[in-house]
Amino acid sequence: MPTNPIPFEIHPSSGVPIYRQLIDQVQALIVGRKLKPGDLLPSVRNVAQAASINPMTVSKAYSRLEADGIVERVRGQGMKILKTTPSGTRKQRQQQFRKLAEPAIHRARQLGLTDDEIQNILKGLLNETAEESKP
Amino acid sequence: MTLPISIQGLKKNFDQKQVLREVNLEVPAGTVLGLLGKNGSGKSTLIKCLLGLLRTTGGSATIFGDDAWNLTTATKAQLGYVPQEVVSYPWMRVRQVIAYTAAFYPTWNHQLVDRLCRQWQLPLEDRIGPLSTGQLQTLGIVLALGHEPDLLILDEPVASLDPSARRHFLQTLIEIIDQPNRTVLFSTHITSDLERVANRVAILRDGQITFHGELDELKDRVKRLHIASRQPLPNSFAVPGALQCDVEGTAATVSVADFDASLVPQMQATWDADVTVHDLSLEDIFIEMHEQ
Repeated sequence: MPTNPIPFEIHPSSGVPIYRQLIDQVQALIVGRKLKPGDLLPSVRNVAQAASINPMTVSKAYSRLEADGIVERVRGQGMKILKTTPSGTRKQRQQQFRKLAEPAIHRARQLGLTDDEIQNILKGLLNETAEESKP
Repeated sequence: MTLPISIQGLKKNFDQKQVLREVNLEVPAGTVLGLLGKNGSGKSTLIKCLLGLLRTTGGSATIFGDDAWNLTTATKAQLGYVPQEVVSYPWMRVRQVIAYTAAFYPTWNHQLVDRLCRQWQLPLEDRIGPLSTGQLQTLGIVLALGHEPDLLILDEPVASLDPSARRHFLQTLIEIIDQPNRTVLFSTHITSDLERVANRVAILRDGQITFHGELDELKDRVKRLHIASRQPLPNSFAVPGALQCDVEGTAATVSVADFDASLVPQMQATWDADVTVHDLSLEDIFIEMHEQ
C-alpha cells in the first residue's frame, strides 16, 4: 500500500500545540474521506522534514492517534488508518451532536432563517451526504 | 547514563553584578531545548559557563558528567558550539578554514560538510574577512556540525540569518535530531523557530530558570481568558494564579499560568459571566510571563 504524501499545514505560532494540529488534520482527512481505512500515514521522518518540525512531535501525534484507536502501528509498514467504530453510548453520541448543532442553529436564526428553512437545509445535507457515509 | 547537561545551583557574578543567581537545569539525551530569555537575561553567560569559557562564581555545571571547567578531550569531541558572534581567521579562505577545523577531528564527515556548504551556498573560495555576519554564522554552524557532535550548543544561531537561511538551518537541525541520542540546546528570541523544533523550553529570567518543561505542556497551561459579565465586575475581582489581569467595567482579560478546565464553570458561577478560553503562541506566553 503506497503512502500518500499528506500536505499538513502546520502553524507553529498558533496557540494549539503542533502535535494536536497534526491529530486534528488527520481526523479531518478521515472525516473528509481523503484518508480511508487501510491507508498509511506518511513516515515520521517525511512529515518532520516536509513541515520542518521536530520528529518527536510527529511521533507524539501518531502515538496519540494509535492510543485513540484511529490508526494501528503495523510493523515494517507504518501507521495504518483503522475503520472507525463510534465509541460511547448512543445517548452520549447524541449529546455530542447536539453540542455541534446548537451553535449552527443559533447562527441560522441570526441569519433570519425560518425553522422550516433550517429543517429543509438539514434534510438536504442528510441526503447529499447519505452516499458518502456508507462504508 | 550521564546527562548531556547538568547544571546545579550555578551562580555567576561580574564584579558586583549578579547575572546568574541560582540556575538549575538538567537536559536528558534526545532533547531539543530552547533557552528563552530577554536581552541581558544571562543566556550567553549561562552557555559560556556551561562550556567552561567563563569561570562560575558558584555551583556546578557538567557536560556528559565532566566538570565544565575541566572538559576532557573525549567530551570536547562530542561537543559542537556556535557562538553568538563567530570569530574566524580573516585572511583564510572559507575552504581553508574548513580544512583547518577538520584536521582537529578524527571523525570529520567531509561528505556532510560538502553538502551543507552547497545547501547554504557558502562561497568556498572567498576570504573570511569580507563575509557578511549571516555568512559567518552559517560557516560557524557548518564547522560545529562537521564532527557530528552528540551535543550541539548554539547561542542565538539564527539571529543574523535571513528567513530562507533560517529555514535551511531548521531543516539541517531536523536531520541531526533524527538520531535519537543527539541533544541540542539553543538560545533564541525568535520564538517561531523554537516552536517548530524544540520539544522542551527553559525560560531564563532574573538569573533563574522560571520554567523548564515540555513546550506542549507550556502551551496547555498558559491561557488567556476573556470574561464578559452581566454586571460590572467588582474591585475584588481576582483570579488565582493570574499573570495579568485587566478589568474594564463588565469585561476582563486575564492570563493564567496554570490553566485548569474546572476554572471556567467556577468563574462563570462566581462572576455571573461568560468565559472564553484562548490559546497563546509562545511569543504571547513569553510576553505575558515577562510583564508581571
